[in-house]
Amino acid sequence: MRGEVRTALLLVIAIIVALIIDFPLIWMIISSFKTYEEIFRIPIVYIPSKITLRHYAKALRVGVARAFMNSILLAMMTSLLTITIALLPAYSFSRFNFRGKYPMLLSLLITQAFPQIVFVIPMLLILKRIGLINTLPGVAISYLPFTTPVVVWILINFFNSIPKELEEAALVDGCGRIRAFFNVVLPLSAPSIAAAGVYAFVVAWSELMFQLTFLTTPEKMTLSVFLTSFMAQYQTRWGPLFAGCVITSIPPIVFFLLLQKYFVKGLTAGAIKG
Amino acid sequence: MASNSGEEKLALSLISPYLAFFILITIYPVIYNVVLSLERRGVLTLVNYAEVLSDPNFPLILYNTFIWTIGSVTFQFLVGIGVALLLNENFPAKRLFTALIITVPWAMPDVVAGITWRWMYSDVYGVINDLMMKLGLISYPLPWLGDINLARIAVIIANIWKGFPISALIYLSALKTIPDELYEAAKIDGASAWVRFKDVTLPLLSPIIKTTVMLTVIWTVNYFPLIYVMTGGGPANATDTLVTYAYRISFKFTNFSVGAAWATFTFLLMLAFAVVYTKTLMGGRT
Repeated sequence: MRGEVRTALLLVIAIIVALIIDFPLIWMIISSFKTYEEIFRIPIVYIPSKITLRHYAKALRVGVARAFMNSILLAMMTSLLTITIALLPAYSFSRFNFRGKYPMLLSLLITQAFPQIVFVIPMLLILKRIGLINTLPGVAISYLPFTTPVVVWILINFFNSIPKELEEAALVDGCGRIRAFFNVVLPLSAPSIAAAGVYAFVVAWSELMFQLTFLTTPEKMTLSVFLTSFMAQYQTRWGPLFAGCVITSIPPIVFFLLLQKYFVKGLTAGAIKG
Repeated sequence: MASNSGEEKLALSLISPYLAFFILITIYPVIYNVVLSLERRGVLTLVNYAEVLSDPNFPLILYNTFIWTIGSVTFQFLVGIGVALLLNENFPAKRLFTALIITVPWAMPDVVAGITWRWMYSDVYGVINDLMMKLGLISYPLPWLGDINLARIAVIIANIWKGFPISALIYLSALKTIPDELYEAAKIDGASAWVRFKDVTLPLLSPIIKTTVMLTVIWTVNYFPLIYVMTGGGPANATDTLVTYAYRISFKFTNFSVGAAWATFTFLLMLAFAVVYTKTLMGGRT
């Protein structure tokens, strides 16, 4: 009996906490479907009497689709570059012992404390010099100091969980280390690698400072820049802004819901071990 | 696995290209930034740093950064550990609640979070004023983002919301490593829930708490987009932190040398903090 009361109480607390925490998301979604008349009505309208799609239509007309495509491209490039670069080092850290291993791992983590603001001017000048300013690949490259160490850590954790015996069997069959990695380890860890890729994807998707600084023309605008400029340039047009916000939130929230359990372990293990 | 020279060679041949690349793309920009901050019109000088220190806003920016960090970190810790304790209990639909409580604020893009909070804080059409008035907490609408002190509180609240999930996740996975027998033993000894938390949970979590608090301090000082979108550092620089101010110096006034000096100053401050923190609180271990 006491156990049941306790469970019910916990459930009530969880519902209240969830409602408070999710209120901003709910409010943004509701607002994006309200007519202007109800967005700007006092007293505030909590349940819209009429649902409209005109803000979404307006957002499309002023270029949200292009910004969405740019964000997708940028995030995919960041993700692919990060995984390609991190894969083999992570495997080596996981499987081999060698001198300087722990100092190397630690120094990778320490750089995560470097402020982004320290990078923004040098990166701008470097990207200008190599002709990648105002390009999506340029911005993707600028994320690698931040994404590759975390993804190396996440991947080490994944590789640690794959039994070594599997590769050793392949080695006995005459495969080299690298072949054993590509034929045995890689297929087994595909879902985990995808999860690590999603982590890099979401970092690039959500970032603002570099995109704001390195992408200077409207046709290169990503969602972050698009939404920010929408607020600054015009007398803020809240309706299309809410619609843009909902559109921008969908990919990361869906990805996190599906794959969170894969990369949380890697992320938190880094902090706990550190 | 015992190390042998063949393996060591292979490992290093797989890792060293990455390390070289990493140094090129991480250490080089950091050094480049220091060089920029020490130069004006081709001459090596400290004049940019002198300009930082003599900036009339310098004390205010430091104060703002301090308040923003202390407020955010304290409450991200409290909310984070509270949520972790809640989600470590057994009740129905826990996966759903974990998603609703932790994933939603964590996954929401920074810019979206900033815009949403900014709208909710609106003085006339904002839902926060409306709800607070309905609850009888205030009798007239507050100018949340227009008043110096309210704006500071407003950005901190938004940042607590955006930032607590990562702390909650770390504490949640740490709680799962504490064996149930310890709690059972304490229960048999007649310890109340609070005493069990204070005498069993907290001491066991303490190393993780120390690490997490240090990380959240660094992340908070470095965190840029929320303030940029919500207030742009205003009103009257009240929410300007080192990072938002450095950004404006660099790109609104396109003064790269002084901007780089502000950035390097922030970096050195964080470095000093991390060293002192690990030495005093963590016994010199990292």
